[in-house]
Amino acid sequence: MIRLAFRKVDHPEEGGPRLAHLDRDRRLVEAAQADPARFEALYRKYLAQVYSFAYYELRDHHEAEDATERTFLAALTNLRRFEERARPADGEGASTFRVWLFQIARNAVAERRRTRRRRPETSLEAAAAIAAPIDIEGDAAIHDDATAAWRAVDRLPGDRRRALVLRFVDEMSTAEIAGVLGRSEGAVRVLIHRALRSLARDLGDPRR
Amino acid sequence: MTGVFAGRDGHDVDALVTDRYLDALLAAHAHGGERSPAASESSPAGSESSPAGSELEQRLRRTADRLDRDLPRLHPSFRFEEALAARLADVAARMRLPTTDVAARMRLPTTVGAAGVVVPIAGRASEPRAGGRDDADLRGAAGSRDPRATSRRPRVAYGRPLLIGGALTSAALSLAGAAYVAWRLNRPAVGPMARAVRAVARTRLA
Repeated sequence: MIRLAFRKVDHPEEGGPRLAHLDRDRRLVEAAQADPARFEALYRKYLAQVYSFAYYELRDHHEAEDATERTFLAALTNLRRFEERARPADGEGASTFRVWLFQIARNAVAERRRTRRRRPETSLEAAAAIAAPIDIEGDAAIHDDATAAWRAVDRLPGDRRRALVLRFVDEMSTAEIAGVLGRSEGAVRVLIHRALRSLARDLGDPRR
Repeated sequence: MTGVFAGRDGHDVDALVTDRYLDALLAAHAHGGERSPAASESSPAGSESSPAGSELEQRLRRTADRLDRDLPRLHPSFRFEEALAARLADVAARMRLPTTDVAARMRLPTTVGAAGVVVPIAGRASEPRAGGRDDADLRGAAGSRDPRATSRRPRVAYGRPLLIGGALTSAALSLAGAAYVAWRLNRPAVGPMARAVRAVARTRLA
């Protein structure tokens, strides 16, 4: 079930626009709603983000691809039901499409979790191996840092890990994460703050 | 405490300060900046009373900088990307066929005959639409004994095939021409000039 709702945030008066850092997708979405063939622009724009989110959640290349595929197929077939929730005060062209897309991705990931076989979670090495040629190829020191950061994030409880990945990997605003996770902005802020505090302890002194 | 920190407990204030710092981090990315806000600003959260300068905050900042720098962004294989793009294009193409949808809803054949191909077109009586006013009228008229109802009944061809393309042939034109000539020959002459012309024609034939 795809939830179209974008949660009302708490304390909207405290941080300027209600939905900060919204992507400017409104025109792309309207074009795709009029002509589904133009959905490709949205697909190319968000493929890596959705895949990253799915991979961090599922830690398996094939399952992440499967969840990504389901996400975009569901988004395309339900695009006409998408309801824009961004307001004029959020900026010209502001769109909640990314929030909606990640709500679908979150559901797709949850579905994969429910249906997949039980397997030992030893794919962190594979994760680092996949990440290596893309972002940190040829630099062993950086590779070690990435692996350590990945492991530390992976040890976090589900909600904290999810919020951190959306914040750092997908570079979402707190308002967007609140929409994806179905929580208030305040709850997301506390979630991320506690996650960072746990990681600071886990990783030790980052200056080393 | 003042401003946005007023009325909040310590955890909320810490979380808000951290959030502001991460916003600055994202903004630096958006503007193509390489340096973290911590390196360029002493207090990105503002100068209001906040724990920004505490040791805990410094550790959080460094941890945030490290995650921002070290957590990899992933991309699926290009083979997967193109395969999914093709599948989405296929789905999109199917979504763009409103005529097929309309035909399916109306139970009409989806294939259109080429030149001279006979395709069956369902008549309205043979394919009643649910709730259709015309069909209800037709059914009511057919079932009643009222001659007025029968007279109002439109002349509808039921289930008649329709020929698309090449509707008129030279043979049909020839038959029409022969019928016209026969009618003209059997018709009595109207004026003296017509009678004169026929007399001349009969003389020549004789």
